[in-house]
Amino acid sequence: MLPTITVDDKKCNDPLACRKCLLICPSHALGLGTKVGPRKFKEIDPDQFMVAGVRYEKCTVCMDCVKVCPKSAIQVSFLTEVKK
Amino acid sequence: MCEWCERYAEGHERWYFNPANYARKLYKIRKEEGPEIQPDPVVAGGMSLLDRGFLEALDRKDHEAVAKMRHDVEQLAWKVHFGQVVTLEDTLKVVDIIYPIALMTCACRRSMLGLPDEENFTCMGMGTGMYKWERWPQTYRGGIQFLAPDEAKDVITKMNKRGLVQTLFTFGTPYIGGICNCDYPDCSAIRTTVDHGIQFLWKGHHIARVDNELCNGCTSCVHRCQFKALSFSATQNKAYIDPFQCFGCGLCATECSQEAISMVERASMPALANVW
Ligand code: SF4
Ligand code: SF4
Repeated sequence: MLPTITVDDKKCNDPLACRKCLLICPSHALGLGTKVGPRKFKEIDPDQFMVAGVRYEKCTVCMDCVKVCPKSAIQVSFLTEVKK
Repeated sequence: MCEWCERYAEGHERWYFNPANYARKLYKIRKEEGPEIQPDPVVAGGMSLLDRGFLEALDRKDHEAVAKMRHDVEQLAWKVHFGQVVTLEDTLKVVDIIYPIALMTCACRRSMLGLPDEENFTCMGMGTGMYKWERWPQTYRGGIQFLAPDEAKDVITKMNKRGLVQTLFTFGTPYIGGICNCDYPDCSAIRTTVDHGIQFLWKGHHIARVDNELCNGCTSCVHRCQFKALSFSATQNKAYIDPFQCFGCGLCATECSQEAISMVERASMPALANVW
C-alpha cells in the first residue's frame, strides 16, 4: 500500500514562493511541477506551478506537510487493506 | 565495454572525450524513431516519466509490470536524456573540449525543494545552444552565467569539494549538453537510479578501492557517497566500499587525506567491466 497525497491547487496558488511543505518533508516525497511545459520567450506564471506527491514510497504519513501548509491545501491518507 | 563508448567514442578513449559528441544537434530526434511514451510536461524535472503506476507495481511486487515499465523508460531515456557519472579529473578534461560553458539553475532542485534561483546555480550547460538561452526563460530561470574554461574548472572543483557528484547528460543522445552536479535525494537521476533501479544514470569508468593499510579510520569519506556504496566497518575500523554499488564518482577519494582511496579503471576488473 502507498499513501495518497492530494494538493488542492486552487488553495495552493504560488508554491514556488511558499515551498514550506517541500522543505519540511523528512522524506523529500513532494515535488513541484508546472501545468504547462516550457514555451519560447515565455516565463511560466507562478500560479501555473503545482505541488504533487512524487516519492509516495518514501512517505510515512507523518502529516508534517499537512500541518505546515498555511492554506490547508494538502491531504494525506493511508488506507490499510482489510484482510478478507 | 561501455555501450556509449562502443557506439560513440569513434577512436577516442571514452565517448565523452570525443569532440563530435558536443557538436551535434540538440534534441535531433526524428519523428519516426521517436519514443512511444512522451514525457509529461506537467510534472517536469525528473518526475515526468515515472508515475504512481510504477510505484504501485513496485509496491505490490508485480515484477513483470515493473520490468516492462523499467525497460520502456530506459529505452526512452537513453535515446533522449540520460547521464553518466564522471570523476572530477575527467570532467575537467571535458571542459577543455567544449566551448561555451555556462552556469545555470538546476531543474531537479527547483522541482524537489523549490530552491530559489539565486541559491540554485549548480548546473552547467554547454555548446552553442547556450547562446540561445534567452528563448527559453523557464528552462534558464534566473539567467545564465558564461564561464571561461578556468572559471568553469574552478566552479566544478568547488562543487566537488562541497560534495556534489559530476555527471554528464545527453540532450538527444549522443549530444552531450550538460555537466550536472548532483546529490541524493534531490537529484532525480540519482534517486531514480538508486531507489527504483532505473538506469537514468550510468556508472562511470572508474571504481573506488580502499587501501586498508593506509586507511586510518577517520570516517571523513563516509558522508561523501551519494550512491549508498560506502559504509564503515566497525570491526576493522576502515572504510568499506561495495564495488558493485560504487558509481565511480571519486568523491570519497577526493576527501581522503591519507590517499587511502584510489580510483581504478572499471575495465581492469573482469567482474566489474560490464557493470554499469
Ligand atoms: S577518509 Fe581515508 S583514512 Fe579516513 S576513513 Fe576514509 S579511507 Fe579511511
Ligand atoms: S564509493 Fe566513492 S567513488 Fe564510489 S560512488 Fe561512493 S563516493 Fe563515489
